[in-house]
Amino acid sequence: MGEFLLKRILLCILIFFFVMLIIYALMYSLPTSYVEQMARELATKPGSLKSASEWIAELNASYGFDRGILGGYMHWLGSALKGEFGESWYWTVPVTEKLGDTIGISFAMGAVSFIFEILIAIPLGVLAARRQYTMTDYAVTVFGLIGISMPTFFTATLYKLFFGVKLQWFDIMGMQGRDYHTLSSFGQFLDRCDHLVLPILTLVTVSIGSLMRYTRTNMLEVLSADYIRTARAKGLSERVVINRHAFRNTMVPLVTILGGSLPGLFSGALITETIFAIRGVGFCSYHSMVNGDIPFTMFYLSFISILTLLGNLISDVLYAVVDPRVRVH
Amino acid sequence: MSNRKSDSFNEALKAREEKERDRLLNEVSDGEEKVMALDDTQRVKVLSPGRLVSKRFFRNKLALVGLAVLIIMFTFAFLCPLVYPYSQTEIFYKYDKLMIDYASASKRTEYSKYQLDKDVELHYSVANRINSYIDEMEEKGESSIHVVGDDNVAYTISRVGDKVYSVSAASSAVVATYSDSATIAKYTGMGKSFTWEGGEAMPADFQQLVIDIAANKGGEFEYEGFSYKVEPTTGKMAYLVLRTSGGISVTDETLDEDFAATAASAVKNGRAVFDYGDRSFAVRRSDNSAEIVEQGGESVAVVASTLVFNLYNNKLSINDEFKGNALLALYGEGSFESDGESYTIKSDGDDIIIYDNDGDEFAALSDYAIRRFSGEDTMAIDLKDAIEDTIEKMEETSSQTETIVFAIPAMDENAAPIYDENGELVYADSELKIVRHAAQYVVNCEQTTYLIDIHAEPTAEHWFGTDGDGMDILARAMYGGRISLMVGFVVVMIEMFLGIILGGLAGFFGGWVDTLIMRLVDIFYCIPSMPILIITGALFEQLKISAYVRLVYLMAILGILGWASVARLVRGQILSLREQEFMVAEEATGMRAAKRIFRHLIPNVMPQLIVSATMGLGSVIITESTLSFLGLGVKHPLATWGNMINSVTGSSEDMIRYAYIWVPIGALICLTVIAFNFVGDGLRDAFDPRSKQ
Repeated sequence: MGEFLLKRILLCILIFFFVMLIIYALMYSLPTSYVEQMARELATKPGSLKSASEWIAELNASYGFDRGILGGYMHWLGSALKGEFGESWYWTVPVTEKLGDTIGISFAMGAVSFIFEILIAIPLGVLAARRQYTMTDYAVTVFGLIGISMPTFFTATLYKLFFGVKLQWFDIMGMQGRDYHTLSSFGQFLDRCDHLVLPILTLVTVSIGSLMRYTRTNMLEVLSADYIRTARAKGLSERVVINRHAFRNTMVPLVTILGGSLPGLFSGALITETIFAIRGVGFCSYHSMVNGDIPFTMFYLSFISILTLLGNLISDVLYAVVDPRVRVH
Repeated sequence: MSNRKSDSFNEALKAREEKERDRLLNEVSDGEEKVMALDDTQRVKVLSPGRLVSKRFFRNKLALVGLAVLIIMFTFAFLCPLVYPYSQTEIFYKYDKLMIDYASASKRTEYSKYQLDKDVELHYSVANRINSYIDEMEEKGESSIHVVGDDNVAYTISRVGDKVYSVSAASSAVVATYSDSATIAKYTGMGKSFTWEGGEAMPADFQQLVIDIAANKGGEFEYEGFSYKVEPTTGKMAYLVLRTSGGISVTDETLDEDFAATAASAVKNGRAVFDYGDRSFAVRRSDNSAEIVEQGGESVAVVASTLVFNLYNNKLSINDEFKGNALLALYGEGSFESDGESYTIKSDGDDIIIYDNDGDEFAALSDYAIRRFSGEDTMAIDLKDAIEDTIEKMEETSSQTETIVFAIPAMDENAAPIYDENGELVYADSELKIVRHAAQYVVNCEQTTYLIDIHAEPTAEHWFGTDGDGMDILARAMYGGRISLMVGFVVVMIEMFLGIILGGLAGFFGGWVDTLIMRLVDIFYCIPSMPILIITGALFEQLKISAYVRLVYLMAILGILGWASVARLVRGQILSLREQEFMVAEEATGMRAAKRIFRHLIPNVMPQLIVSATMGLGSVIITESTLSFLGLGVKHPLATWGNMINSVTGSSEDMIRYAYIWVPIGALICLTVIAFNFVGDGLRDAFDPRSKQ
């Protein structure tokens, strides 16, 4: 197990190196207009002794842009390993500070929608499998597929129209109501929760389908296994057969999927946050990317890449933990 | 059988039965039961694998629904545009009644200048100051002043009457020029180049003289009556060319040497005017030279006035000379001639009217300049009168807006003027609203105007109306579907191509090839695709790449980001197939590797590939529409479902008002993706019956 883990971790580091190299090359080829703009601003500040072109040269040197793609990448990697990710150009604060400010709300959104997703999708998937080829099954399948097929932006806009504009239950975007500052601290908390309802609803709607289908497929496989027939033959009640024998075995592949999606909770929901103007990690990174904020984008993408690799690792390890046969292999 | 005895009853029966059976097998008449042998191939209906799959597929109701939806979508996106009359980028216009600025009116306070004598040119220094000169005269109550322009010419401005002034000047002709001694050029021996002080170069023979003298390190020479000196100056091989004598050159041939001497002394003594014989001359000095001009008699060069001419027949036009003469006649003899016609001008209190030869009203003079906003003077004179009266009333009551009703040329619904059978304009009463803007008055009027038909309601011509750019929404929905489906297919094809080749190589060869390719797959698995797409979208935005090129790039990027899963699938399948007996058999027969991969392994992977491609199509369409919605995918003027939704959901107000646009289009996206998923699901079940219990 130890050797397996070590090998996997080394592999992850290698993959990470190349993924970030590709991303850096892409960011590097962005027109450096933002650097130029910054240089002009600095040059026009009172007391500036350098001209704009000198500022550009200095900024390029400090970000390592004057050393070519590979040299610049090594420069970035070197400072990243030391934990220096620099200061965001767009948000004008250190990138780690910006992440610290925004990750809380993203995690809250991710966690709540993840819980709802599990609570809704797994029971429905199991139900559909138990009543295969009935109306229930068809309904669950069709709704699951519709959930998968709805583009996030369309779902979000529909919810905005229906719950925000027609019913006037929620604000259509933002994180605070107009009277936020007059509320008590508990009222402020409730107000914030109120603004998160639609984004979470959107997230749950678009993610529920795949988990539901996955549960159903696995459950069907398990239900056709010999030990289920044996359990039924023993005369166990249907409840015991389903809950004790079938569902537990369905959990084996599910655990890996859930383990893999856990790191995604921290990376923020890019599109949902942008559409609802929730100032989480996804919203910030979207604006950084669109505005060519290289320090923040590099930091965010390395963050996501590490989380993805970690997620794969976790699901592999979990699989090995849950299913002892894998360990032998 | 032929050796058998034919008298055996059993044999005879057998033979008869066989005959009967043959007949029944081959020709069956109605009512008789067809006889079949137990080993008859017709007894077992064997379906080919393809038909088996399709039979299973068509039994699946959801898959059938999906297929039907897809057929409808393809018809909608690819066939309907062929018969639909509009294209995706056609902009529609309409005529609509709109409150426009019809005309502007202002009291003329600046003096307009009408040139009378073409020989006398009013110098711009005087022309520009004419308003202040006249103001000064009015303040001091003077009837005439003398001014000298920057050209040293004297002008006389006299008051002709109220609001009419004349500017007179003596006509003048240059008879001689005088020049002082001066540095005229700088000459550099290197490159033999001249820098002329006065700006104007001397002729080539003069230059040759200078070059020759400069070669002798300086000296003096004569040229056209003037003496020149070339002397060295600071700098290598640099010389100054100086004119050492001042002199006069006479251009008027009627004047003699004697005049030249008189003129030269006048210039040297700084006199502005001098006489020679019975003619008088003036000196106009400039920096290094002077012009001697002969002074003739004075005449009125320009008439300045604030009065505005309004013609009764606004199809005619009058020139400056007419206006100048008319203004002089107003306070003079009361009649004037222009272009051989004679006119009379009369003032009766408020109105000043010009009558032509027949005694008909020809033009009226007014204080107000009333013009259409197009700059054309096409308004009828009685309308101008009415507006002027209203403005005067407004000035008295100091009201800001006033409304009058007046007949102005009527317009049909195509914004063209209406003519009656005689070719005359048809007039219709319209409400004119006069609004005061400081010193200017603006006449507003409702007019039929040619407009881009934006956000039109659904009509018979545009079933879903038009969008914010005046383009037909249904047409754009069709073309948008075409792009979405096309992007889906192209991207999936790129994914399949890369995935099959790389996955096939990895699975078949194993070893270091497998390791290398699978690490590549790992890298592409790990790359966060949405951020990459957003970054490249922003990059294209900054580079201002055209919409069509962007579309190609977008498809390439989506394909390159998506091949990894296909490669993984192909490799996995090939790894398991490789262990099977038929591969061992192929290896034993010595079949080439390429044939084994592409003829035997890939076709076995095809079912899974088709399923994953069908499912993949849906997700590519979602990705593309999301990017287009964010404004980072396919751009205007190309239509896609994503950017169409984006264009009408900017604000909550738009969101409600144009829900009839974006909800159906969003539904189109969903339906297409759902249909692909249904079909993919159905195909999977059909290919692999074991998955269906």
